[in-house]
Amino acid sequence: MSRSTNELIREMADELTPVRSLRLRDGLARVAGALMLTLIAIESIAGLWRGVWQGEASTFYILTNGLLLLLGCAATSTVLRMASPQVGNQHEGPRWAFLAVALLPVAALPALLGHDHPVVALGSFHGLKCMSLSLAAASLSAVALFLWLRRGAPVSPATAGLHLGIASSALGAGAWGLACPLDGDVHLGIWHVLPVFLGALLGRLALPSLLRW
Amino acid sequence: MIADEQTLSRMMALAQGGDKQAYAALLTEVRRWLERFFSRRCIPAQRDDLVQEVLIAVHNKRATYDPSRPFLPWLAAIARYRWVDYLRAVYRAAEDELTEAETPSETEEDSLIARLSLDRMLAQIPHTQARLITWVKIEGLSIRQAAGRSGQSESAVKVNIHRGLKKLAALTEKAE
Repeated sequence: MSRSTNELIREMADELTPVRSLRLRDGLARVAGALMLTLIAIESIAGLWRGVWQGEASTFYILTNGLLLLLGCAATSTVLRMASPQVGNQHEGPRWAFLAVALLPVAALPALLGHDHPVVALGSFHGLKCMSLSLAAASLSAVALFLWLRRGAPVSPATAGLHLGIASSALGAGAWGLACPLDGDVHLGIWHVLPVFLGALLGRLALPSLLRW
Repeated sequence: MIADEQTLSRMMALAQGGDKQAYAALLTEVRRWLERFFSRRCIPAQRDDLVQEVLIAVHNKRATYDPSRPFLPWLAAIARYRWVDYLRAVYRAAEDELTEAETPSETEEDSLIARLSLDRMLAQIPHTQARLITWVKIEGLSIRQAAGRSGQSESAVKVNIHRGLKKLAALTEKAE
């Protein structure tokens, strides 16, 4: 860089154009819009499970989907804030929600191990289907969050990628969970939570290089 | 004397609205602040480049500043981010050309800025890693010299520097 700093300052001031500062509520509106579109798509393709509203859902079903959506909201808020850097920012909000979600497979384990045929209880076919559809349901939120971060200035791309993966996959799993009528501990605790771990891994490994600026 | 936080914040809000005069004044203040911020934390000959890179980043990412929040922590986060990038680049590109750092004269205010910012980041990573990063990337020692001084093998020095830089990158927004 050879030009003088004074010259650089003059050039940047000359080419200045007004900008609208990134506002958290705009980001929230985008992610809410993405989640709404996801729910509409799920309703039109598979249909949301009406049993929830008729009191047929188990407590574990309510807990699992509630915790997933809570984790999705906490991580989303963190990702949106990461677009506007600030020394002193804390990004530890989703940690406790993530640990709470991580307890779900632990809670499902005794039921799985106590079963006469654990492999059958695991229900791999339906499980894999739910896992894939949860990840697919995460895509719109992931795109919305990714574009938001690209507009912003995340100064910890690795953490931002991790939180983006967690946020979108938790929202996706929570959204798909509203359509899945299987409300057993094992199915929910394993197959509806696994996408969050995969999303976290994917976000942590694949996104940092795309988020650098 | 650098303008106070409130003045800088107000100037940045005006700049976001397109006020060129306020923006030029702000960038001049930011430049002074950055020169002190990076004092003793990069090779003096490269300080201007680093300052210019941060100024460009401030320009490109000016929409990410929230006028309801303080300005300097925002600027410091961007400066830290670019500083870690700079340390990585020094390691990759110019290792052989580095010379012993000059010791610039500085005021107490300069030291205070550095201590509140970059030193604090270095203090949060393991002492060995911080020491090696300082020797190799800031003072300009070669890997071999750093290995000799620390009593570690050259590959251990490289691994420690790599790990230290990863940790520094994760500390960009940490205040303590």
